[in-house]
Amino acid sequence: MQHRSSRFLVLLASLAAADAAVAHEQVGVPGGLASGFLHPLTGLDHLVAMVAVGLWGAQLGAPAIWILPITFPLVMALGGVLGVLGVPVPIPEVVIALSALVLGAAVAARLRLPFAAAAVVVSVFAIFHGHAHGTELPTAANPLAYGIGFVVATGLLHLCGIAIGTLSRSTAGSKLIQGLGAVIAALGGYFLIISLGHAS
Amino acid sequence: MKRLIARNLLVAATLLAITQQADAHIAAVRLGDFYSGALHPLTDLQDLVLWTALGLLAGTLGASKARWLVLMLPLGLIVGLAYGLKAGVSATAPVTDAAMMVGLGLLLAAGIRLPAIALWVVALSLAVVRGIANAGGVGPQTNVVLFGAGLAAAGYAAITLIMALTVAFCRPAPDASPAWRKIAVRACGSWIAAIGLMMGGFALVS
Repeated sequence: MQHRSSRFLVLLASLAAADAAVAHEQVGVPGGLASGFLHPLTGLDHLVAMVAVGLWGAQLGAPAIWILPITFPLVMALGGVLGVLGVPVPIPEVVIALSALVLGAAVAARLRLPFAAAAVVVSVFAIFHGHAHGTELPTAANPLAYGIGFVVATGLLHLCGIAIGTLSRSTAGSKLIQGLGAVIAALGGYFLIISLGHAS
Repeated sequence: MKRLIARNLLVAATLLAITQQADAHIAAVRLGDFYSGALHPLTDLQDLVLWTALGLLAGTLGASKARWLVLMLPLGLIVGLAYGLKAGVSATAPVTDAAMMVGLGLLLAAGIRLPAIALWVVALSLAVVRGIANAGGVGPQTNVVLFGAGLAAAGYAAITLIMALTVAFCRPAPDASPAWRKIAVRACGSWIAAIGLMMGGFALVS
């Protein structure tokens, strides 16, 4: 009898703690926002390349430091449109890995290219990064929310890079940024080897 | 005694199993359609993004040009809603929304100083289009006047708040340079244009 009472207690506790059943998790706007926002953050190759863009912009100073966060999302969105439309780009994974390697190396070497040349390099990579995001947009729970999520996450990664890059004003900070660039380049090299293995 | 406890527990369990969510506010009974009208655009990302873009653009142009939008946006929404209901149109093409996002975003990103009249034309056009889109929230039993009032109130509150925050954010402060603040707002513009571009591409595919 005591055993039965304790069963009732368990039942009672279970019912009291029960929440409404949600059959479809991550659907609609919250799902689209979350998947779009997390897409650039969960792909380490995307993440380090975006931070490197911010770091390099901060090293290059004006006008790169402020033109970059304004133009990069637009160029990336053009790549995204290509991805949405299903227009293929050659070896996307290899170029994305290469972007981390090149941008990391540019930060590590404190490479001071003319602004136009730096803009072209960054724009080419932006197209490929956007393309990778764009190909996943049609399958997203809510495409507009996915677009908002990934654009905001990318912009915030640039801001992170720029914020860290402001350390380059001091000598020690400058060395730290260059070290960070070397780490990003090494990661890019690692991703490049892996993607070349997949491509072949 | 044990039997009594067991019976009480069973009753308690049954009561818990059939509980419903408490409705403390009876708004749905009296002014439900007002709240439906006010909440309908807030549950739609198109309205949120476009209103934000318009508020940011107007705010960067200064309070003297922006303040007229406090009146124009709600009026335009009501005109659009009325037209949508009369013409039986309750949705706008996704490409139209995407194009408006790209246009407003690029204007913001480029830091273009629109003349006041151009800003008002843009605001009224956007409001009418979004008013038509919101007509989709009106059902056969909906009180149209209450729904329209709610929609206009939401538009008024949102645009006023966004413009006021933008004007305050971009105002030159004596202790800090406003340059980075204007760049931040322009970066928001490029984000909005990027979102519009993606949406345009998606609309073309689907």
